[in-house]
Amino acid sequence: MDFLKLLDRFAERGTRQVASHTGRRSFLTGVGKILVASAFTLPVLPFDRTTSALAADDSRKKKAEPTDTDCDYWRYCSVDGFLCTCCGGTKTTCPPGTTPSAVSWVGTCRNPADGRDYLVSYNDCCGKTTCGRCECNTNIRERPGYRLGVHNDINWCMANQSSLYHCTVSVIVGLEEGQS
Amino acid sequence: MKKLRKRLWLLMLPVCLAAPLAGAQDGRPAPLPEEEMRVEKASAPDGNRLYVSDFAFHHMVDGRLHIVDGKAGRYLGMVNTSFGGLTTVAPDGKAIYVATTYYTRLYRGQRADVVEIHDPQTFALLAEIDIPAHRAQSATYRSLLAPSADGRFLYVQNATPATSVTVVDLQQRKFVSEIQTPGCWSIQTWAQGHRFSAICGDGRLLTVTLDDNGQPVSRERSEAFFDPDKDPIYIHPEVVGDERYFVSYNGNLYKVRLAGDKPTFTPPVSLLTARDRKEAWVPGGMQVMALHRNSNTLFVNMHDKGEEGSHKFPSKEIWAFDLGTLKRTARIPSNTASSIVASQGAEPFLYSLNVERGEIDVRAIGKKGYPKLRTIPRVGDTAVFMEVN
Repeated sequence: MDFLKLLDRFAERGTRQVASHTGRRSFLTGVGKILVASAFTLPVLPFDRTTSALAADDSRKKKAEPTDTDCDYWRYCSVDGFLCTCCGGTKTTCPPGTTPSAVSWVGTCRNPADGRDYLVSYNDCCGKTTCGRCECNTNIRERPGYRLGVHNDINWCMANQSSLYHCTVSVIVGLEEGQS
Repeated sequence: MKKLRKRLWLLMLPVCLAAPLAGAQDGRPAPLPEEEMRVEKASAPDGNRLYVSDFAFHHMVDGRLHIVDGKAGRYLGMVNTSFGGLTTVAPDGKAIYVATTYYTRLYRGQRADVVEIHDPQTFALLAEIDIPAHRAQSATYRSLLAPSADGRFLYVQNATPATSVTVVDLQQRKFVSEIQTPGCWSIQTWAQGHRFSAICGDGRLLTVTLDDNGQPVSRERSEAFFDPDKDPIYIHPEVVGDERYFVSYNGNLYKVRLAGDKPTFTPPVSLLTARDRKEAWVPGGMQVMALHRNSNTLFVNMHDKGEEGSHKFPSKEIWAFDLGTLKRTARIPSNTASSIVASQGAEPFLYSLNVERGEIDVRAIGKKGYPKLRTIPRVGDTAVFMEVN
């Protein structure tokens, strides 16, 4: 994981459009369509933004469009954990030999290419030990465990036969309600 | 130093010259005695024994609880906590509890969830208790694994993702019940009786009362005491007798009294001044508060330019408040800490943990400006939470 990229992601967060401002309510309407509770993995390495904000700003000017191995790629707007794109999988596939999580959680991210807000299911891939590559962490609209469906300090492989967490995919599961 | 080296060299000179004729009279010091290998026994906790929970994110089956002498800055040893283990220490410091998960073949096979009791002096396993395979594989926030005030029961947070609490009888060392707590999270134990309250997604508390066998006899929901949409609170409690303090993402302090028939609530009070708000100072991190009881000082892990999603940012400063007046009494520099904890004994310290570097700053409580005494380096891989005893 390129640490500067992580910083970039946070630096750019302010300008990134994020859908679903009503949190719980829109989360529930979105989630109602698909079974599900939530995604993610354990923490959440808080990063040090205080020491590097300037560096992030400088590099942002030169930065190319984020790709699907970058934390600031649009559909990772609420991802937390290791990106499967760096672990032998893709945005929508688990690495060979791992198992998709039975439960996941759904974020709402705006695709800058078409300006639409998409529901993104953050499923974990389970059954092997942690991948350890491309660690990303966003906590926008994340909440403590009393809102478990939007909590990411817990292992969302929890309901699998092997609950070991490996990495996270980000699957488009529809448009946010009211969009076409 | 130069002089010393010269002297040592002079001392060695005859030894070197005499080396081919080695013997008892050759001027060398007596040979070192033979040694015996043994296992260290840690000294008894002195109020500054730090327990640092490390979920080892890059190799998560291998979590640990690091045990450190916070005053001396000396690493004492560890207890293994396996995969996403929950950890806590008995209030009297006489037991370390771990709730964790094992598979028979590391990453596959039969899942076994257990509560382990470890000895805080030998760091050896004392007992293992089977529990339902429902326990939350979670960051080990204070209040997800909690002993009852009298030490009789241990409560374990579950998530399948349906939420419930497992009750373990620590006297008989066995699982006794599982209590459904739908929509509610964390275990806020009461000082009196066998009761706990859980914080619910609708802003209420669910209070469960147990009988002497650990079976639930009542479950009651309170009125709402906070608005999870507008002012979500961290589940980390600071405890003063019957009072529980929670801080919200927006910097409001909530006081909940867990006594009598049911919980009672005090309206929240903002910890921020108008200027603080303008600069958007807010709490952040994983273990966001610490309390020093004798001086009635509450510490909060703070950063400025707060916004949606910044609630786990490490701190720029640690703010001290008089818990009586809620006036800020100090702004303490932070080592970009995610977690803070305070010790309570004769030599109280404020500990702040930088997760990225695994580095703990130790500051003196009770001295002006909370001077930094030392930095304890390289504790763990992904150490996130601390307790001190």
